[in-house]
Amino acid sequence: MKTKLLFILILVVSAVLYLATLRGIPGNAPGYLIKNNLDQASKPFELSPERGRYILVLSLANNHRFSLSKELAEAAFPDVGYIDGRFYVYFAPGISLLALPFYLIGSLFNLGQVATYAVISVFALLNIVVLFRICRDMFKLSVGPSFLAPLIFAFGSIALSYSNTLYQHHVTAFFITSSLYAVWRYRKEEKFSWLWALYVWVSYGLAIGIDYPNGVLMLPVMIYLAFSTFPLKQTEKKLTISIRLSGIITAIAFVLITALHGYYNYVNFGSPTKLSGSIIGYKQFLQTKEEGTRKGEQLLKKLQSEKNVSGFFQEENIPFSPYTLLISADRGIFLYAPIYILAVLGIFSVLKRLNSELNAILGTIGVHFFLYSSWGDPWGGWAFGPRYMIPSLAVLSIFIGIWLQKYGKHLWAKLLTLILFTYSSAIAFMGAVTTNAVPPKVEADFLKMKYNFLHNYDFLMSGKSSSFVFNEYFSQIMSLQQYYTILFVTAVVTCYILLFIVPMLYKDET
Amino acid sequence: MKLNFSISKHKLSLWKEKLEAIPLDKLIVPLAILFAVIATYLSYTNDRIITYGDAESHLNIAKRIIHSITSGFAQMGGIWLPIPHLMMVPFVYFDTLWRTGLAGSIVSGFSYVISSIFVYRTFYYLTKHKLSSFIAFMVFALNLNVLYMQSTPMTELPLIMFFMVSSYFFIKFIKNPQDAISLIFAALFGFLASLSRYDGWFLVIFEAMIVVLIHFPLKATIEALKKKNLKWLFKNFQTAEGQVVMFATLAFFGILLWLIWGYLILGDPFYFTNSSFSAKSQQQSWLARGELPAYKHILMALGYYAVTVLSNAGILPFLIALLGFITYAFHKADKHRFYIMIMFSVPFVFNVYTMFVGQSVIFIPHITPTTFEWTLFNVRYGIMMIPTVAFFVAFLFMNSKVTGRVVIVTLLLFQLFLYTVGYSRIITLADGSVGLSRAKRPDAEFWIKEHYDYGIVLLDDYARTVSIVRSGFKMQDIIYIGNKPYWEESLVQPDKYARWIIMQKNDTVWRNLLDNPKTQGRLYKYFEKAYTSPEILIFKRKENVK
Repeated sequence: MKTKLLFILILVVSAVLYLATLRGIPGNAPGYLIKNNLDQASKPFELSPERGRYILVLSLANNHRFSLSKELAEAAFPDVGYIDGRFYVYFAPGISLLALPFYLIGSLFNLGQVATYAVISVFALLNIVVLFRICRDMFKLSVGPSFLAPLIFAFGSIALSYSNTLYQHHVTAFFITSSLYAVWRYRKEEKFSWLWALYVWVSYGLAIGIDYPNGVLMLPVMIYLAFSTFPLKQTEKKLTISIRLSGIITAIAFVLITALHGYYNYVNFGSPTKLSGSIIGYKQFLQTKEEGTRKGEQLLKKLQSEKNVSGFFQEENIPFSPYTLLISADRGIFLYAPIYILAVLGIFSVLKRLNSELNAILGTIGVHFFLYSSWGDPWGGWAFGPRYMIPSLAVLSIFIGIWLQKYGKHLWAKLLTLILFTYSSAIAFMGAVTTNAVPPKVEADFLKMKYNFLHNYDFLMSGKSSSFVFNEYFSQIMSLQQYYTILFVTAVVTCYILLFIVPMLYKDET
Repeated sequence: MKLNFSISKHKLSLWKEKLEAIPLDKLIVPLAILFAVIATYLSYTNDRIITYGDAESHLNIAKRIIHSITSGFAQMGGIWLPIPHLMMVPFVYFDTLWRTGLAGSIVSGFSYVISSIFVYRTFYYLTKHKLSSFIAFMVFALNLNVLYMQSTPMTELPLIMFFMVSSYFFIKFIKNPQDAISLIFAALFGFLASLSRYDGWFLVIFEAMIVVLIHFPLKATIEALKKKNLKWLFKNFQTAEGQVVMFATLAFFGILLWLIWGYLILGDPFYFTNSSFSAKSQQQSWLARGELPAYKHILMALGYYAVTVLSNAGILPFLIALLGFITYAFHKADKHRFYIMIMFSVPFVFNVYTMFVGQSVIFIPHITPTTFEWTLFNVRYGIMMIPTVAFFVAFLFMNSKVTGRVVIVTLLLFQLFLYTVGYSRIITLADGSVGLSRAKRPDAEFWIKEHYDYGIVLLDDYARTVSIVRSGFKMQDIIYIGNKPYWEESLVQPDKYARWIIMQKNDTVWRNLLDNPKTQGRLYKYFEKAYTSPEILIFKRKENVK
């Protein structure tokens, strides 16, 4: 009972914090208002990923089609592609489709944009729930660490800055973590366990529609499912391999979703396997226009045939990208959220007792890190921290829970966790209430700008906030610094309670 | 619903026995030959055998030994070491094999097969584990960079062959320091390695050092010194001295021969490093431009070579090998592991050292600044470490449980997939095709191929103005810097021998004939300009002037 109450309390606090940082403005933000107006830093469309996805929502809601009008295409620039006289956003359509009902409902209350962005906050909340269940059920962690792990991910990492805007990272994290949990449940072979397998296949299909690299990122989970579908049992005399037909039959769901995705590609881009990211850019389209009609058409065809999405990932990026993602001054995760050092320690603590679940989790982190270390733009454009790492941060936070389970009873470990969380959370909230438009060092040096959270600090000090709630309701009664402090202290106090008070309530729990 | 399939453990163990009975060692040679033939066929049909500028030079050096206006062993020159060229001689005798580059492919292919055998044998000797040894062979033999390089007339594969054979015998000696025969064989193949590429010099030096270390292990030596155990020290010194002398007499003889050669033929025992044609001299222009990043910068040198190895091995085998290396370092069961690790790191030490002192340069796109004029050059040096990578991958494989082994094999196969989707590229092929190492194909080459009729051609081959093998000239009809006295006389009296003169801006022929007013008059008196481009001029002898 007390766990349930605590669970509800944590969810309520989390929901309030997410609501308090939700980015936006009142109104339904039509396309013509976006360019050179709402696309400035700390405004809801400051960066092209959220702009592009939102514009697709507008196109779906108002024009009932995936291709954009010229006006919307210009507003979504530069992440807009061109094919056969039509314009498309570069992103997979999943996020926009998920957000569409939120927009439609929100627009009834003249809060279309804020409601659209709230879809991600909902997934961020779901991530807290799933991570808690993973810690509690799969790893049998105590209540304190089981709540702390998701809390650290939610409010002690850069994930916070992407829980209030229209990016794919939280949804990806949700599909990965929930599928992981679902496979674990499927392995238990309980009644209706086929539903869990069905969920995994559906998730896999949908996740690809959310962001194409998810097809690779979820592979370790799918391999985990494969091992669960073909379990191997050893007795003294024989070896038995079983085939659980439910794991195979439910794959039909994935086939259907993928076929639907292929149909979408076929209708819009001319081939089931052609992805939106592989069509030529709007910028190149403009260049070809300058070349004159005939020459331009030839160039257009040449560019279309040359562009290939697999080219985005290259081995040649490997030497520098890990540095960028882990320790660089502009994006390094250990600079933005040093609490993840505990995750590394947690991984070391389990290396000698690896099982299928841990292998699947470590595989997910490995694949993720490998993939984005090969990405030509590990900075994620202008962004707050290493945003591509967010799904990995979700999974890594489980290891913080595992570490806390092992060492959390010591005062030094509690203090270390609290200090690291305080630092990490201070930075996380700074990003969440100000801006994600932080340039990478290479660009910042050229533009004479700051290139990490110091840039956000300037925004904080000058009172420039992206928060809908602050701008609409609190900016008249308190400064942004005060607002920030309230949110940040709330998170730190929650962490303190979970570290120091909750274990006292569960003294009987080992 | 669940379907169950059971098998008794007894049956399983029978299968296991049958699997273990497969004579994997007998598959090595046919598989290596098959891989070599397929790779060479692909290179040949895609015109990729002589992509490197150096590839043709190696063929031409071998060809000149037997077919030249001044044929003989002096044509071997004093920069590149002679063994790979001598190995090509029987094959370049046939013009078709010389012009297609297949003469070099045969030598490299042969070296590849022998290297494959010794990669297998070395690992098997150390572990007696057949399957892991086979994995070592497969990692080496299926490396796409190795496969490409073995289809070319480059000198890397002959070196790898001598390196592996010498290492095999030397490891046998390490395991049994009384085995003098193995030490002599190690010295013999070390000798051949030292006359194949300069990396071989480091190999024999390191082997000699290990001979000493074997007799003076660190712990025991410190203890003996502390206890002033002079008897132990003296006894070991005597054994070490004898073995080092025995080893060095043969192993270092190649180095000595090369120094004598340089002195006798070219007047400087260190011609290979002092001459204007040496790699060291070529680095000066990079240094002047500030584009020698590893020069006197040890971290950059380490970084550049590590990334080059990564790129040659493929990211996944490289990472697996790194894990294997760490595992091996802690593998206390093998008390000789540090000597073996030293052996296998010789190419690494050599390349880092030569970059650090400015003797060589590598540009690799992974870390070379994009502001540099070139970002791809000499990356083939990384394939020297592929046997090492194969060794450590196999070691990790051997020490893994079934799941671990499945993961390793899956990752190795996945690396091949990464090549097919363009994630990884065959970096040595890229260097030969689009990097600075590639042979230029100027328009003049196509022109001369079409218009050349007969007669002597004067050109500066060092400047690689046009390809000799592709242009259709006979090697006996070429006058270049190595044809004494024809070369010197032609630079004063161009009409004396030549019917055709090909020159490139600022090359020796250009400077002597075109920039010099005296010879320029003579040039235009006897020759007419037959081809003009901004960089290359081709002159043809006037028919009516005597």
